Amino acid sequence: MAELTKESFKRVEPGRFDSDSIARPTVTYWQDAWRRLKKNPIAMFSLVLLFLCLLMVIFAPSLRGLDYISINSKTKYLEPNSTYWFGTDNLGRDLFSRVWVGARVSLIVAMACTVIQIVVGCAYGGIMAYFGGIVDEIMMRIVEIITSMPSMLITLLIMMVLDKSLGALLLAMCITSWCGTARQMRGMIMQLRESEYVMAAETLGAKPSRIIVKHLLPNTLSILILNVASSIPRYIFSEASLSFLGMGLDSNQISLGVLISNGQAALDLYPHLLIWPAVVLCIIVLAFNLLGDGLRDALDPKLRQ
Amino acid sequence: MIKYTIRRFFVMLFTLFIIATATFFLLAAVPGDALTARTERLQEKTVINLYKKYGLDKPLMERYLITMKGLAVGDFGESIVFEGQTVQSIIRDKGPISARLGLQTMTLGVGVGLILGIIAAMKKGTWIDYAIVTLSILLISIPHLIFGMLLQKVFGAELRWFPIIGWPKGKDLWFGGWEYTVLPTLTGCFSYIASYARLLKTSMLDVMNQDYILTAESKGLSRWQIIRRHVLRNSFIPVMTNLPMSVAMCITGSFFIESIFAIPGFGKYYVEAVSTRDVSIVMGQTVIIAAIYIVVVFLTDILYTVIDPRIRIRGGKK
Repeated sequence: MAELTKESFKRVEPGRFDSDSIARPTVTYWQDAWRRLKKNPIAMFSLVLLFLCLLMVIFAPSLRGLDYISINSKTKYLEPNSTYWFGTDNLGRDLFSRVWVGARVSLIVAMACTVIQIVVGCAYGGIMAYFGGIVDEIMMRIVEIITSMPSMLITLLIMMVLDKSLGALLLAMCITSWCGTARQMRGMIMQLRESEYVMAAETLGAKPSRIIVKHLLPNTLSILILNVASSIPRYIFSEASLSFLGMGLDSNQISLGVLISNGQAALDLYPHLLIWPAVVLCIIVLAFNLLGDGLRDALDPKLRQ
Repeated sequence: MIKYTIRRFFVMLFTLFIIATATFFLLAAVPGDALTARTERLQEKTVINLYKKYGLDKPLMERYLITMKGLAVGDFGESIVFEGQTVQSIIRDKGPISARLGLQTMTLGVGVGLILGIIAAMKKGTWIDYAIVTLSILLISIPHLIFGMLLQKVFGAELRWFPIIGWPKGKDLWFGGWEYTVLPTLTGCFSYIASYARLLKTSMLDVMNQDYILTAESKGLSRWQIIRRHVLRNSFIPVMTNLPMSVAMCITGSFFIESIFAIPGFGKYYVEAVSTRDVSIVMGQTVIIAAIYIVVVFLTDILYTVIDPRIRIRGGKK
């Protein structure tokens, strides 16, 4: 047995073996989500794709410098070539520029609808959860009634009643869409208000503003981001479908839906008129859907390995 | 439970009332009406008589009361644009067409979707799983109408396998004329395949992580037994609750398919009625579609409590 001498022992300064200290820097929820999103190649690919689409939507119409508004009878129905990359339409206008201008309109419509949906939904849901009681009861009934209406019918009716302008389209597509967001927000805020860490923050004397900024917002933000990612493609679809039924924007305005429905008329002889707008629409929607899928994985802490 | 059902029933009636009222006044707010274009070149006396025939000469509130009374007893009035047609006759003639399209689309879509979902969940992490997930995202990223036109172009115009437009009539209404229904059914079913595959997969993975699956495994049950007895039963709850909503959505969803393939169904008629401002038909169809939709939503809520005992128990405590 080894001898225990005085040399076997050494004086240790307190704090050297501080096991409580955190070795790694703390990672916030958002840093963590971003890290996981970066690891997902498909999501990153869709981000790049969306960024490219955004650039095209902004710059492509001026890139070629071709006329896409006035009619030119000499260049009718040209197949795609080196001057007209996507060909020309029935009135001799450059399809490449028209497609991207159309994508711009479709994206603006989709984003505006999403913003309205989120803002109205949050405000409505927040008010329901905040006041509770009779206010909540009445507002919830209203939501119940609106969600039990078939939204397509309402949209069609509104488009018929109002003129086929951008404003009318926004109203028609938004009028029922905010209910889902409002319900989610209400549930989320009510659940959060009851949660222990909000109570703890309150006990520690945190101001309501701090609780909202530090606890309520970050926890609801992930749901809102997912909402945005899934709403935008839905609105792009709705716009295209409505235009196809002749209930969307006026046919002399340029949007992907209008271009597609114009293209269908010439599908048999000049398929490029349908194919290019359809391809661009599918790419944008696909990118949003892939990104949404990646975000769902990244933002859900339960799925973390 | 009974109290809840009764309350919901009155909410349903109230919702229908609001929809009917809103539709009526929306239609009334449009300048001009279904007769404006038709009577442009007619003599004044004929115009007055025409307006009298359809009751459009009466003041707004009186028309509203007449319409609402009619709705209450199921008398929707005669079409202004399509002579001699009533809402009832349209439903009788066009209803089966849309119903068959909807049924075929849903059966195929939901069936294939569920099978793909099960496969994806069981082969989680393999290339099969990724292929199914990618496929479903691809499928929901292509709109109905583009897909429909693509199918028309490839299988109708180029290969000439199937007719491009049309729908079986007469005695073929329910069983027959299959070649006409292939393309529309395919067009419609893809969104169901995608959403149900994803839904069931997520739900199955969720169930597979539960402790009772671990218990079942440690009892020594075979993989197939666990899947059949425990996983599938529990993971079907979200599917069951989504199904009725799909039925309801399928009514309005078929609007597009019917207009792409020129199928003379309920939806096509509705869109036509809306664009020609055929007030009585729009009113009738809106109320009927809304009623089907509302009843289905209501049944979903009831079904939800019936198939999942956990909710029933929680609801009973309240």
